[in-house]
Amino acid sequence: MSQNRLLAILLSVLAFLVLVVGGLSAVMLLSGGGGDGGDSAGGGGGGTTTGGGGGGSGNPSQAASGRLRLASGDPITLDPHIAGDALSAEYIVEIFGGLVTIDPDLNVILDLAEEVDVSDDGLVYTFTIREDARFHSGRQVTAEDVQYSIERATSQELSSPTGLAYLGDIVGAREHFFGLADTVEGIEVIDERTIAFTIDAPKPYFLAKMTYPTAFVVDRQEVEDNPRNWTRNPNGTGPYELAEWRLGERIVLRANPDYHLGTPLLEEAVYLLSGGSALTRWENDELDVSPISVNDIERARDPDSDLGQAYEAWPQFTVSYLAFNTRVPPFDDPHVRRAMGMAIDRERIANVTFFGMIQRATGILMPQMPGYVEDDLTLPFDPDAAREELALSPYADDMPVIRITETGAGAEASIDMQAFIEQWRTILGLEVEINQTDFGTFLADQDSGRLQAFSAAWIMDYPDPESILDLKLHSESPLNDVGYESAEFDGFIEAARVEQDPEERMALYGQAQEQAIEDAVWLPLYFGVSHVVVKPEVSGWFEPPIIMPRLRFIEVSR
Amino acid sequence: MGAYVIRRLAWLPVILLIVSFLTFALARFGPGDPISIAAGQIRDPEVLAQVRAQRGLDGSIVEQYGRWLTAAVQGDFGESYTLQSGRSVNELIFPRMWVSAQLGLLALVIVFAVGIPLGLAAARLAGTWVDPAIIGSLLFLQAIPVLVLIPPLVWLFAVQLGLLPVGGWDGVFEVYWIAGVIAVPMPDPHLYIPLIAFTLPGFVGVARLVRISALEVNTLDYVRTARAKGLSESVVQLRHVFPNSLLPLITVVGFALAGIIEGAFFVETLLGINGIGRLTFEAVTSRDYDIILATTVIFSSAFVIANLIAELAYGFVDPRIRLGARRG
Repeated sequence: MSQNRLLAILLSVLAFLVLVVGGLSAVMLLSGGGGDGGDSAGGGGGGTTTGGGGGGSGNPSQAASGRLRLASGDPITLDPHIAGDALSAEYIVEIFGGLVTIDPDLNVILDLAEEVDVSDDGLVYTFTIREDARFHSGRQVTAEDVQYSIERATSQELSSPTGLAYLGDIVGAREHFFGLADTVEGIEVIDERTIAFTIDAPKPYFLAKMTYPTAFVVDRQEVEDNPRNWTRNPNGTGPYELAEWRLGERIVLRANPDYHLGTPLLEEAVYLLSGGSALTRWENDELDVSPISVNDIERARDPDSDLGQAYEAWPQFTVSYLAFNTRVPPFDDPHVRRAMGMAIDRERIANVTFFGMIQRATGILMPQMPGYVEDDLTLPFDPDAAREELALSPYADDMPVIRITETGAGAEASIDMQAFIEQWRTILGLEVEINQTDFGTFLADQDSGRLQAFSAAWIMDYPDPESILDLKLHSESPLNDVGYESAEFDGFIEAARVEQDPEERMALYGQAQEQAIEDAVWLPLYFGVSHVVVKPEVSGWFEPPIIMPRLRFIEVSR
Repeated sequence: MGAYVIRRLAWLPVILLIVSFLTFALARFGPGDPISIAAGQIRDPEVLAQVRAQRGLDGSIVEQYGRWLTAAVQGDFGESYTLQSGRSVNELIFPRMWVSAQLGLLALVIVFAVGIPLGLAAARLAGTWVDPAIIGSLLFLQAIPVLVLIPPLVWLFAVQLGLLPVGGWDGVFEVYWIAGVIAVPMPDPHLYIPLIAFTLPGFVGVARLVRISALEVNTLDYVRTARAKGLSESVVQLRHVFPNSLLPLITVVGFALAGIIEGAFFVETLLGINGIGRLTFEAVTSRDYDIILATTVIFSSAFVIANLIAELAYGFVDPRIRLGARRG
């Protein structure tokens, strides 16, 4: 009998819970139904802050205002010195700052520095720090803070995977990183507000590299007091402060009213870190901005649709490409590479398969990038020329197996790759296999240089052609994963490295770009475009082609 | 029985040791590692070698496993590297597990609360059209994959009717204030869609189990005796058939409880709920070794323990099943 009683108790508990949940749901649904008309009002009423929509009077007040709601994810880290991913960088550039930054027109401008002096030989950069450059805590930024930050970013103790990539040009940074020196030799603190960097060669892109988060300034006291967890409440120098971070739920950035480059227009940015489809939430008025995927692009482009008025497209500094490993047959023969390049119709694929969401690449460098040329440098789609080119190859009669690797889940090739395969088959009679691996495996294989051919993309870190042409294709660069060795190309790149005249320099990169495309080691496919819908209450929204501080330029009238 | 429990528990560390070593080795034998993923585009092999050494990712697998095990037995499961650089694994896993557990528990309660009465009703009305109608429609619900079920739910309740949010998680309760004074805790609107997606496919399992069991109990001697004593049919059902037909559910509850902390990958991903299922998947794709290991070890422990509890509970409610009793 006792087991019966136990079960009876269990069941009554269950029944009670059901009643409670059911009853509450009914009440909820009823109240939800009642508040149908005032949907947005109901949503706002739940919060603790009272309506921020008041105070919209005629005279422009100087204080920041408005609240922007965005969909995003948790940053991997908020430590600027170790972050290597775009998501983390998006938050970091708002919270922290360095001596220089990038403005919306992609110029390198001064941030914490008020002046920079470059020595005649192009080797010494002397920065004077602004008097009003302050941390969020109010403490003034000194030359020692800058020195500490750069030395931390290149220290063996931190062992940042990104530190040397951006700061390795400073004399002694490498030695410091590998534990051969306690300090970075090339950094000299001249006085409280003056600091000088000596670099290993006259590199005109050094300033552009200093805009990357690895060169940002952190608060030594804070880092040393709490080395593990200081980024949870970071004391930066940027236009926004981290007001709240609930892991997996939301991040709130609040304007820094004393920001030295001017009070931000936007008071608060709320990043919602979980939730379903962003576009659905945008339509449900839970978000102010949502990305548009290929599934919704036609609806967004239709000016009569509900999305049409809110739709915007922004070109990005990303280029996707097919890379051929020039050390592996058949791609050690340029004829094969060129033939394959001329047999694919990228224009049609961009327009038909991707509904024109991406732009056919006209070179390696994208529009707006310094060094970009308007002419189409890429191999044209020309089936006859492609066949002739292939006929010139010694591999024409005895083609090795061609296997192109791309990242993916292994279900089927990406849609454009399927179209390419079809064109190579019908035009050139080539059978191309596709190998799909997950991202981690892909990186490992790419680094080992054993991929025969692969599909990849490059995102510019700073607006200088050096950060793609030199890094990816110079014969001695560790990132040259296609074994490209061209004396002509290397010559242009090496001359550009030290050329002080900006126009001459860009001309050299232009020649290098032409050479690489002529040699067809990369087939540039498309330039990225970011597609979004933005609520009408938001003005000044822009999708910068590379990551840069942008919140302070945005206004929300709500 | 005490000896039995101890014997079973003594196996736990052995199982965990094997499971953790296999997971550890599998993750590391696979190509790709967290350092090159975290490094981004610019990867210098010399730099990465030093970063690996600094993070304890150099040396043989046995050495690395030894380091991990030494820390793990002291309660330190390491730290995340690629997902949440620098945060401890414990800090990342337990809040997410708690989210999944709340959802899972609620779903479990609802599944039983709906499944049991339906199963009993089906058994009671066996032979009429009602029985196959109930079981058939529940089977139909089970046959819809959550991947198919969720989008129309979101479309209807969130997009068209605007009653519910599209996704996300905001705790179990939402407090409403009446006149700013009286607090009324209400179920949070984020709950409804995931709960529907969790529960609809689950009803039929419970209902069928209860139905079969009730049909069987109905034919047993003590039920016949009860009827023969002249008890009314409702008393027979309520006092004899009903409680006894629930016994097999205890095993189901045990395993369901273990399943709860594992979360549900599809529901959590589609609805953007930060539960443990989604975290595990993300950890695998970004090679976040320590998280993969910790979740595997925790899930394995939960499975072993839930199994044990189910057996013990069974013996407790049905004295005929005596655990550890030596058979002659």
